[in-house]
Amino acid sequence: MTNNKDKTLGETLRSQGISRRSFLKYCAATASMMALSPAMIPKIAHALESARRPSVIWLSFQECTGCTESLTRAHTATIESLIFDAISLDYHHTLQAASGHAAEEAREAAMKENFGKYLLVVDGSIPMDNPGYSTIAGISNYDMLMESAKGAAAIIAVGTCATYGGIPHANPNPTGAVSVGDLIKDKPIINVPGCPPIPVVITGVLTHFLTFGTIPELDHIGRPKVFYGQSIHDRCYRRPFYDKGLFAETFDDEGAKKGWCLYKLGCKGPTTYNACATTKWNDGTSWPIEAGHPCLGCSEPDFWDGGGFYKSLSMPTENIAQTAVYAAAGAVAAGVALGAMNKSKKNSAAKAHNKTTIDDLEK
Amino acid sequence: MSASLEKGINALKEQVDSTVAAFFSSCVHCGMCSDACLFYTETGSPASTPINKAEPLRRIWKSEYTLLGRVGKMFGLTAKVDDELLTNWETLVYDNCTLCGRCSMVCPMGLDIALLIRKTREGMAAAGHAPEGLIGATKRAVTIGSPMGVKLPALMAQIGHVEKDTGLKIPLDVVGAEYMLLLSSMEIMNFPEFIEATAKIFDKAGVSWTISTEAFEATNSGIQIGVADIAAELVQRIVDAAEKLQVKTVISPECGHAYMAIRWEGPNLIGKPFNFKVRHILEVLDEFRKDGRLKITGKETQRLTYHDPCQVSRRGGVIEQPRNLINMFAENFVEMPDGGKMNWCCGAGGGVSSNERADEVRLKVFQRKKDQLDEIKPDAIISACSNCRIHLEDGLEEYNMDIPLMSLTETLAEHLAD
Repeated sequence: MTNNKDKTLGETLRSQGISRRSFLKYCAATASMMALSPAMIPKIAHALESARRPSVIWLSFQECTGCTESLTRAHTATIESLIFDAISLDYHHTLQAASGHAAEEAREAAMKENFGKYLLVVDGSIPMDNPGYSTIAGISNYDMLMESAKGAAAIIAVGTCATYGGIPHANPNPTGAVSVGDLIKDKPIINVPGCPPIPVVITGVLTHFLTFGTIPELDHIGRPKVFYGQSIHDRCYRRPFYDKGLFAETFDDEGAKKGWCLYKLGCKGPTTYNACATTKWNDGTSWPIEAGHPCLGCSEPDFWDGGGFYKSLSMPTENIAQTAVYAAAGAVAAGVALGAMNKSKKNSAAKAHNKTTIDDLEK
Repeated sequence: MSASLEKGINALKEQVDSTVAAFFSSCVHCGMCSDACLFYTETGSPASTPINKAEPLRRIWKSEYTLLGRVGKMFGLTAKVDDELLTNWETLVYDNCTLCGRCSMVCPMGLDIALLIRKTREGMAAAGHAPEGLIGATKRAVTIGSPMGVKLPALMAQIGHVEKDTGLKIPLDVVGAEYMLLLSSMEIMNFPEFIEATAKIFDKAGVSWTISTEAFEATNSGIQIGVADIAAELVQRIVDAAEKLQVKTVISPECGHAYMAIRWEGPNLIGKPFNFKVRHILEVLDEFRKDGRLKITGKETQRLTYHDPCQVSRRGGVIEQPRNLINMFAENFVEMPDGGKMNWCCGAGGGVSSNERADEVRLKVFQRKKDQLDEIKPDAIISACSNCRIHLEDGLEEYNMDIPLMSLTETLAEHLAD
């Protein structure tokens, strides 16, 4: 185990039978995925090849394990998954073989050995109402997070629960769930939201960290801009139908069958920033909108409380008050009156028209 | 001698319709049209931003047709249209715009900015703010029948030469002919080869055609200066002649605005549909090609490019046809960057070439065309608009570039198989 840990990533990959050619292909794909210059490809290759596998501690709190399912869901032995395997994942509830005291010892040993250098990955939110709602080995989530965060080089919050509180945080938030960012203010935090997030996004973030030793550029709510910089709507292949005003009105009408825009069925694509439309899911097979379902907006804070998944974004969520109806009627009347005045003005201008001849071109 | 500000303002009021109102109220002032306009890119003058050229019309819409503008007008807050404004805008509306419509293509809000400037010209002309050169051309068009003062005897003389050179009879005033060919005065005076080429092609194609001695002029100065009444009169002459000769199709020659005037504006100007078709010469030639009536021999080996005339390609949609035809004889055809519907204007359409005041600016903005040509370095340029052709020759000379200009119809005729 120790022996394996000292190997560089390049050595590990080669020992697993990964050719240099496919390794470089991975580097090129990562560079283009993250919109880096092609000049960066050799740098990524060099950094990855010579990187000592960094220690990673993975904590799971109030979560459903969907994020882990997503990230480890390698269909075949993809190189992305191997990069993921090739970090030294020293503690992970679901994946580790050890249990009980041995498991906790592994975490403590990894923290001690790599103090200040390890990466801390967190999925799940932290209950602040009563610590008893979620404990591991008798340690409350809050205590475990604070203790593990102390020696971390950076923290990656994975999934909407860890990044923004997610479903546990949804109204009425019975456990007082909060996000990692709500509790930790003195460490760099990369938010990788999504319910669950896209697997390549986390491997991309890891690659970036291994290559540059820094965290990628983040948006105003801590998400890497390369993956969360554009809205689903802007990259959606159904966007031309939106632009033409062609919408599916129900899930089984002609529009739905023809693959028209799902906006009226509640699609949150216009307000959701994520990479689903470009990277897709399951090794690029498909993604929710391609499967005919509106985007739920799962990578946005409080997506669960957004007023109903099937309610269209611009539809009023409450009944319009009577006064608004009167106001609208008044505006229509004023518009008609104004239109009539404009029409008479135009008519009088036409009446005042004298046929222009070539003698009327000069003063 | 009766143009006045009142008439100009009244003309602008007449121009405001739901389209104009929708356009002005949806302009988001993004300024994207400026980069689409060669009069902006080559002069760097913000005043040449296309939508700004329609400012007089915008002010009338604002002050007369919007609630806020009218309230503002009561307190003297809404900007007025006066002679000073129109004087300042004269050069923007007539010298620095060729109505090429490139701005309309890029507007994210879908404004047809070229249309707004065309409408602004209505007010400018009625207020006596049209340029001298265009006024002269318009007067000649109405009184003599051609903006360049070409009379029937001049045409007859050219036809005489052509008949002598080719041995073909040029059919005049033939009742019941399939096609009636119009000519621009530039073709009659500068490029009579066009008449010769058309005669040869039509002879080989075996179709009946004719030229009317009563209405042979294709160009329409009324459109360029912006007086719908005069434009309608000029269109009516062609309609009368076509109806008299009972032709099926009227052919617009190698001239951009003539095609736009007769085909797209024509029926609107006279207020009723035509009972004949209008086609550009390139459309007719491409139909011949499709029907197998064009037999071509020999290839041009030199590097050829095609200059899309704005009113033919961008505003007229005749984009595929010239390429189909060129491919019949060109071995080494190269597209200009931005070729097709986004091609850059030569810089002298829309009445600019009739307006001596604009000579300096039209040659300055030719830099844009030079840049396009420098990128592909063609051996020769083909075009399908005599006005583009004359200005391109001017520009090439000004910039010391030695690239010959060719007419598509003429080049095609040279390659006709016997």
